[in-house]
Amino acid sequence: MLIPRKVKHRKQHSPKRKGLAKGGTKVTFGEYGIQALEPAYVTNRQIESARIAITRHIRRGGKVWINIFPDRPLTKKPAETRMGSGKGSPEHWVANVKPGRVLFEMNFPNEAVAREALRRAIHKLPMKCRIVTREGGEF
Amino acid sequence: MSEVRLAAEPRTEFGKGAARRARRAGKIPAVLYGHGSDPTHLALPALEFARVVREHGHNVVLRLDIADKSQLALTKTVTTHPIKNYIEHVDLLEVSRGEKVTVAVPVVVTGEAGPGTLVNQETNELEVEADALNLPEQLEYSVHNLEAGTQITAGQIPLPAGTTLVSDADTLVVNVTAAPTAAEMAPEEAAAAEAAEAEEG
Repeated sequence: MLIPRKVKHRKQHSPKRKGLAKGGTKVTFGEYGIQALEPAYVTNRQIESARIAITRHIRRGGKVWINIFPDRPLTKKPAETRMGSGKGSPEHWVANVKPGRVLFEMNFPNEAVAREALRRAIHKLPMKCRIVTREGGEF
Repeated sequence: MSEVRLAAEPRTEFGKGAARRARRAGKIPAVLYGHGSDPTHLALPALEFARVVREHGHNVVLRLDIADKSQLALTKTVTTHPIKNYIEHVDLLEVSRGEKVTVAVPVVVTGEAGPGTLVNQETNELEVEADALNLPEQLEYSVHNLEAGTQITAGQIPLPAGTTLVSDADTLVVNVTAAPTAAEMAPEEAAAAEAAEAEEG
């Protein structure tokens, strides 16, 4: 699972969820991609689950790129704890995804298989997404 | 590529409010600069400009009719909305006849490589220098029957006459690799299945 090797601050403020993606909004490496349509915190477990869904469906003959990295820690207080006594301990690692961001990209010779693999991956993600292609969808 | 004629209006009001009003009225806010002149703020017809970009790509030379004068311009940056895919803003660069310009041209791979291979396009665009009125729309390279292990660099891509390569000639553009066999995939799949089971358990 993806996790930062070293962090400057163990506990951070919650990432801001306003606005649209500033970059990484086009498919650049592969032929097909998954684009987020809503803001969301995508955990490293969700990223791994979506990656497995893609690789298991295409089996062989394709390539997958993951364009996001879960670099923001989210903390949580233990259950049945009274308020106070400082910030909770880091619980999840998330990628702060803004609408428009391309999360995954892939190459595969058969378009129908590629689309099905991405559709299965979308089911593992916590927000509305759509499948985009490198050429298509412009204006 | 020949030039495309487009009527443009000078813009008199600026800022996000004015830009949004222009977009609602079917116009695209644009700016024209280059050759050391002061930038000119323009409004382009949205549907016509979108059609031009769709048909000719992002490197298109426009003949702009601004008020009572005419100006040649090259699209430098086309900013699109990340989700709705409409054009938000256009940067135009003044060019003159016979001027050489550097542009990024898309590389298109055609044909099918040999059996049991996987074609990876590592670079999508190459920078080339060409006459402003003769810009190539795309650079094509055929991977027909190429074997696994073949690597095509930028220097090997055929360029149209009058065009020179600006990008590093050693840049890897196409990499043909052997597709993984079922035997190679088996340990990977088993490891993935084990990981999934461990996660569920």
